[in-house]
Order: sequence, then structure tokens, then C-alpha cells
Amino acid sequence: MATFVDRYPEEAAVVRATFVVAFVSLGIGAFFGLIQALHRTGYVRILDSVDYYTILTGHGVLLALVFTIFFLLGLFTWAVARSLERPLPDIRLTWAWFGLTTTGATLVAVAILAGLIPSLGVSADVLYTFYAPLQAHPLFYAGLTMFIVGTWMAGADWFLAYRAWRADNPDDRIPLQTFMVLTTMLMWYLSTIGVAVSAVFFLLPWSFGIVETVNPLLTRTLFWFFGHPVVYFWLMPAYLLWYTVLPKLAGGRLFSDPLARVVFVLFLLLSTPVGIHHQYLDPGISEGFKFIAMTNTMFLLLPSLLTAFTVVASMEHGARQRGGEGYFKWLGALPWRDPAFTGMALAGLMFAAGGFSGMINAGMNINYLIHNTLWVPGHFHMTVGTAVALTMMAGSYWLVPQLTGKRLYSRPIGLLQVVLWFVGMVFMSNAMHRAGLAGVPRRTAEPQYQSFDFSTALGSVGELQAQIAFGGFLLFVSVVLFLFNILLSSFETPMESPVDDSLPAPLSGAEGSPLVLDDLRLWTGIAIVLVILAYTLPLGSIVTDAGLFGDSPGFPVLIDAVAMLKEVVA
Amino acid sequence: MKLTRAGVLILVAFSVPVAIELRTVFGLFGIDLPLAAVGVFEVILVAAILVAYAITAEPETATGP
Ligand code: HEM
Ligand SMILES: [Cu+2]
Repeated sequence: MATFVDRYPEEAAVVRATFVVAFVSLGIGAFFGLIQALHRTGYVRILDSVDYYTILTGHGVLLALVFTIFFLLGLFTWAVARSLERPLPDIRLTWAWFGLTTTGATLVAVAILAGLIPSLGVSADVLYTFYAPLQAHPLFYAGLTMFIVGTWMAGADWFLAYRAWRADNPDDRIPLQTFMVLTTMLMWYLSTIGVAVSAVFFLLPWSFGIVETVNPLLTRTLFWFFGHPVVYFWLMPAYLLWYTVLPKLAGGRLFSDPLARVVFVLFLLLSTPVGIHHQYLDPGISEGFKFIAMTNTMFLLLPSLLTAFTVVASMEHGARQRGGEGYFKWLGALPWRDPAFTGMALAGLMFAAGGFSGMINAGMNINYLIHNTLWVPGHFHMTVGTAVALTMMAGSYWLVPQLTGKRLYSRPIGLLQVVLWFVGMVFMSNAMHRAGLAGVPRRTAEPQYQSFDFSTALGSVGELQAQIAFGGFLLFVSVVLFLFNILLSSFETPMESPVDDSLPAPLSGAEGSPLVLDDLRLWTGIAIVLVILAYTLPLGSIVTDAGLFGDSPGFPVLIDAVAMLKEVVA
Repeated sequence: MKLTRAGVLILVAFSVPVAIELRTVFGLFGIDLPLAAVGVFEVILVAAILVAYAITAEPETATGP
């Protein structure tokens, strides 16, 4: 039986290309992660602390934006072609968006890394949130805009494929994987409006000097308009794998197709009107708007809990198919030897823990306790850093053979790799959460102060530092193992079917789900209305307060700000 | 139910957060254990897993996969 690369060789080439970009970013980003973990804990400081933000910006952008989104671009291309059972409409369009996103991402990376060589006069030490008045070189905003436009084109590519399929199959239900891709992209179109407006109308002209000032609160709010949905943009590829691939790896079938559709529709509706929950501490947005954002956020728990239920039920079904019995003993019947399965299962487990720490972040009052502390990186290394990143690495063990027609170099190394990631993250993230509770700040090169000690509830700060450094080291080793395993796989000899790539039909199929779920126009309409309700008043009051362009000049690099501060103080 | 080597690896991995958080649980009751306690917990947990493996591994060799 032929695999994906034999059926769709041209699509497979694009998916391979996106994965190469993703994995290169993963390697560089993980190296930066190690540098940070060792630097801020005081163990090894190979760089000057002044360069910490350059590395941290590179880490955030390369991992959270480039690695995850390039993997998504490849995965969605694979999912659309295989679930519609047809090639994409025009492969030139597909290569065009690959070219645009890659060029954009490269420009962004160059702008950031140039910061290490001051003589170039180019820098973008603005972190992945690029809050004004921190100012980056125009290259950074231009690259970002190209990248976003490239993802829009990719979405158009998938919608065109769907339209061609629809013309041939007027009465069929949208295949589940394509349904997931389309709803995710609708959410993406809606939410990237925020960041596109911020970059094109405010930040880019400001970095070129066409306008003198910005309104920092406005660009921040526009960033978070996009910044919360982007977490679902990371998560939806993982969900796609958990819903459609994990049950098969477990030896069973998806529990319910209709429930999966409901979950994706809920994310389309609820992802965007919650962004203000990242701004609980921003002055200039009144408490009432924050309260509305918090309420919406709590509703978002529903699709996550539905997912936990469906995925665990599907795994249990698989285990019982394999002869598992009892209340808990069936867990032992799961295929723990398979790195693809084990990695995704451990990722899901850690996501549950991340969900709990996320509830703390989401509560308006209790957020004050952990805001801007190391707790927050502790939280998102469990969610995007593990639930998403580990699922993507584990999924690669099953996907890459389909794209190359070659078997995986070593499954035992793969198993060791995913387990190492889990253990490393337990160490690092646990200590980050606890350090955050003690008040240790995030985004800080040297969180060690003279004549001041953080007081921890349990154990010493030194222990927490050691735990962070050790965990970070294990994580880095895990990435190295992953990259070598994938690299060595590319030297294997091609074979007929390197992996069992069939996906069985769900236990409860699409026939059982209400037709209205497939009405994408309806859901998009409601999503737009919710966004208008949630954002018109806050944006209106931000603009009336300080004007569209505000009165904040830029700080090209942090050092300038420090120099200015010195002058002011002196 | 027989325990495979992959199963042992997973259980050992899972024992790490359990050992770390056991100390937190004791802390909640006002008992502040030193870092070494985490090490001791971990050793006990790993030993228990290995014993379980030794006991259940016999049928695996007897019947063969
Ligand atoms: C090798 C594995 C990793 C290590 C050792 C690591 C380490 C760290 C550390 C220590 C920080 C906090 C720095 C500070 O606030 O001062 C951090 C921040 C961050 N990490 Fe990681 N990380 C790793 C993997 C990942 C992955 C896989 C992702 C996402 C896919 C990720 C996304 C981020 C983001 C978005 C930040 C915040 C950057 C900012 O504050 O602007 N990391 N990382
Ligand atoms: Cu959010």
C-alpha cells in the first residue's frame, strides 16, 4: 500500500519543506532556551546580560511563532490533501505561500539576531510580544507582515481545495480533518486583523519615522486581540492529531466526530473576544471590560474539557480493543513502546496540568499574584511548550515516514526522547511555577538582587534555580535527540509502506452530527458579532484617551532606554 | 498484567512529578521536608516499579510475546 508521498508527491515536497523550516527553528530556539535557563539561574553566563533580550526574543519568536506555525502549515496541507483525497488546486500557489512565509520568517530572524552585532545598527530586542514603545528595525515588522500574509494565502489555498471538492461532492459532510483546518483558519483570519492593523498602520510607519509616536496601549490591545487566538492556532494542530491520529495509534477509533466538530466551532467563536485577559494589569482599560473578558475565558474551559473527555474515551476504547480490562488496568494495554503514541499521551497529560495553572492566570483577582512572574513561563511551557511542541515532535515520528517513504531511524531513541522531554519539563516548569509564587520575575537576565531574598513557601531559591537549569538541560538534550533521529531517518532506504497510515472511521460518525455544524458562514458571522461586542468599547476608550498615534516616542534598543534613564537620574 | 520495559520507562517518568509534589503535600500539613526527601521518595518509587517489573516479567519470558 502506497503512502502519502506516493499519492501526492508534490504536496509531500511542500510539507517536507515546511517541516525543515520548523525543525531548524526548533534547534536554534532550544539552544537559546538552554542559554537562558543557565544564564538567569546564574550557572553559566556565556553572553553579556545586555544581550539577554536578543536571545529571549529569538527564543520566543523562533519557537512560539516559527516552529509551531510552520509545522501547522505542513500538517494542514497534509490533512487537507489526504482527507479530501485530492491534490491541492495549484501547487504554484502552495509554493508561493511557502516562499512568502519563509522569507518573512527569515527577515524577522535576521533582524533579531543582528542585535548580537551592534555595528550592523539593526536590532529587534522587542520580545515576541513587540510591545511599543520598545522599537524594532522596520525589517522585523515587514518580515512579520509578510509571514502573516503568507499564512492567509495558505488558508486561501486550503479553502480553494475545499471548494473544488465541494463541487464534486455537493451533498457530503465536510471530512473531519478539513473541517478542523477550515474552522481554525477562519479564527486565524479574524484574529490576525488585530496584529496586521497594529504592524501596518502603527508600528511599521513609526519604525520608519513616518509617524513620530505610538499609543502603546492601543498596539498592545491589538496584539492581544491576536495574541490569545494565536494560542489556539498553536493548539489546533495538536488537537487535530489528538482527535484524528491518537485514537488510531492507541489501537482504536475516535469516540465521537460530532463532539470534535462542536469543539472546533466553540474555539472559532470564543478565541478572540478574550484577549484582554492578558491585560488584567494594564491601566487604561476599565475593570468592567476585564471582567467580561474573564467571563468569556471561563467559557473556553468547556471545549477543553470536552476534548479531555473525547480523547481519553478514544484511548480507552483503543486499549480495550487491545485486550485491556478493569477500571485502570486498561492503561497498561496501551502501546507505550510507540514514541508517537507515548509522546502525544504525555503531552496531553501535561496539558491537563497546564490547564490548571491557566485557570489561576485567568482569574482577574488571583492573576495579580503571578502576573509577570516566572509562573507565567512555567504555565506556557506546559501548554505551547509541551502540549503543542511535544505533540508535534511525537506526531513527526508517524508523519515524516509518510512524507519521505522512509522508516524512522530509531523508535527506542524516539521513546527516550519524548520521555526525556516530559521529565525535563516537569523539573523546569514545576520550579518556574514555584519561583513565580515567590515573586521571581520573568524576562530578567539576573533575577538576583543585593540585600534582598525571595522567600519561598518550600525549599530554597537555590534549589529552584538548580531545578530550572537541570530541566532546561534535559529539554535541550531531548531536542538534539529528536533532530538527529529525524536527520538520520532521511538516510534510510525508501520502502513500500514505512508506517501504517490508515485512519479508521470514528465510532460515532459525521452522519450523527447536526448539519448546522458545517455551516461555516453562520459561525463566522456569530464570531464577528462577539468580537465587535467585546472590543468596540475598550478600543474606543483607548483611542479617545490618548489618540490613535498616542505620544510615545520609540526606544530603539533597551540600552538607549537605560542611557536615557541615567541622564534623567543624573 | 505484565509490565514491559517501555512501561517501566513511563512509570519512572511519571514518578518524578509524584516525588516532587509529595513534598508539597507534606508542606501543606506544615511538615517541611528537606530536598533529600524528594530523592528518597524517588528511590522508593523507582524500587517499587522495578520490583513490580521483576515480579510480572516472568510470564513474559515464559509465554513469549
Ligand atoms: C529546550 C527547551 C526550552 C528551554 C530550556 C526553555 C527555557 C526558557 C526560559 C528559561 C524562559 C524564561 C526566560 C525569562 O523569562 O527570563 C523561556 C521563555 C519562553 N519560552 Fe522557552 N524553553 C524551551 C522550549 C520552549 C518551547 C518548545 C516553546 C514554544 C513552542 C517556548 C516558548 C517560550 C516563550 C514564548 C517564552 C517567553 C519569551 C518572552 O518572555 O518574551 N520555549 N524559555
Ligand atoms: Cu490568553
